[in-house]
Amino acid sequence: MTVQYSPLDAVHRALGAKMVPFGGWEMPVAYPLGTIDEHLACRNHAVIFDVSHLGTVHVDGADALDRLQWAMTNDLTKIGPGRAQYTHLLDEQDGSVLDDIIVWWIDEESYDVMPNASNTARVRQAIGGMDTTHERAVLAVQGPQAIDVVNAATGDLGDVGRFRVRRATWEGVPVTVAGTGYTGERGVEIAVPAAHAADLWQAVVGAGAQPAGLGARDTLRLEAALPLHGHELGPGISPLQAGLGWVVAWGKDEFRGRDALVAERQRGVSRVLRGITTDGRRPPRAECPVTIDGQPVGSVTSGNFSPVLEHGIALAFLPPGVEVGTDVAVDVRGSTLSGRVVPTPFVAKR
Amino acid sequence: MQVPAELRYSTDHEWVAVTGTRARVGITDYAQDALGDVVYVQTPSMGAAVSAGDSFGEVESTKSVSDVYAPVSGTVVAVNDALAEHPELVNSAPYEGGWLCEIELSDATELDGLLDASGYQALIEG
Repeated sequence: MTVQYSPLDAVHRALGAKMVPFGGWEMPVAYPLGTIDEHLACRNHAVIFDVSHLGTVHVDGADALDRLQWAMTNDLTKIGPGRAQYTHLLDEQDGSVLDDIIVWWIDEESYDVMPNASNTARVRQAIGGMDTTHERAVLAVQGPQAIDVVNAATGDLGDVGRFRVRRATWEGVPVTVAGTGYTGERGVEIAVPAAHAADLWQAVVGAGAQPAGLGARDTLRLEAALPLHGHELGPGISPLQAGLGWVVAWGKDEFRGRDALVAERQRGVSRVLRGITTDGRRPPRAECPVTIDGQPVGSVTSGNFSPVLEHGIALAFLPPGVEVGTDVAVDVRGSTLSGRVVPTPFVAKR
Repeated sequence: MQVPAELRYSTDHEWVAVTGTRARVGITDYAQDALGDVVYVQTPSMGAAVSAGDSFGEVESTKSVSDVYAPVSGTVVAVNDALAEHPELVNSAPYEGGWLCEIELSDATELDGLLDASGYQALIEG
């Protein structure tokens, strides 16, 4: 597979970003101030991420709603045009999550479906539509001051409610704005034609948003206990195991993978995704074994140092029924971290 | 990338500063930059006997973990306790406040096997 580059690639390199491969793309992992500085800027002020590697599959037409309703777990009739919804695409056979997706319902018969970078082709196979990923960039501006910063830069592009979507015009350029994100903070995501992406980026940075890379995006989403495909979701992991039963619209008669999921619900899940905090700064890591009273009970799916809490945090699959407050141990390459099961998110969402 | 002229370097990206029979050891500017923000350092144990090439510590960043290899053989006679609370010193001052430990050399001739600054510069530019 050839490496794909964001329309903002030159902007990142000029800023001194460290570029890394991610889902077939080369994207900034951090700028010179570093992941922790970027993370705290998002919690305290406002940052801007280039998330152009997310796919966009544009679906429209009179049958678009039916196609999406059949393919995905959530129920679009709970929302409507001008709103966004988080949903899953399941494996028909075992009900595991092939991708987790945000759908922007733009207007009556028009949807932008946004899969994870590496899953765009697979999602398009399931729902049809047109892959418009390379026509646009997507900028995510996140943080308590994100909306103010976007408005200072653009006039009123930031005026969009949580999980609302609207078309707008910036300097004569058509953009789509959504009140969505992946950090646990307020914010907006803006899809802008590729040729105008650098201008919009510079305007928002000029108004005070600090560039942030995929490193901070990962530590932020982990503090907010948001799942990452390939870690908390993926082949062999159902929405029920991931604690995301709310993404499944049981009231829909039919959707891909429904039978497998109904069967799992009836027999009960074998494991559940839980939050763990660990003592000290050492990061628990994906695949580290978790024990209770010396007995192996599961393993970490994502773990890191929490820049806000200043200790280790992890998501892990544990047997159902383990109570909050239960002491656990996490084995990090032979060293034992003591920890406990906690409610999530680790850091409160805003 | 800083490569101070007075230091010696291992191919595993550790630096060595020798005073008499003692070697102070840390990771290079290049190594800390590649790791990203350091959040935890497992320093070598005081009194540990180490052989050149042994893994004797770990440096963990928000994105990965890296072993630290003993660049020379000997006994660990000092460790940098400041790193417990301030591991970010490895990023901000890799050759100063971010040092990891000191080794009392058991075989000073091992120093001849390390790179000088120009040799290390060539390695990281390679």
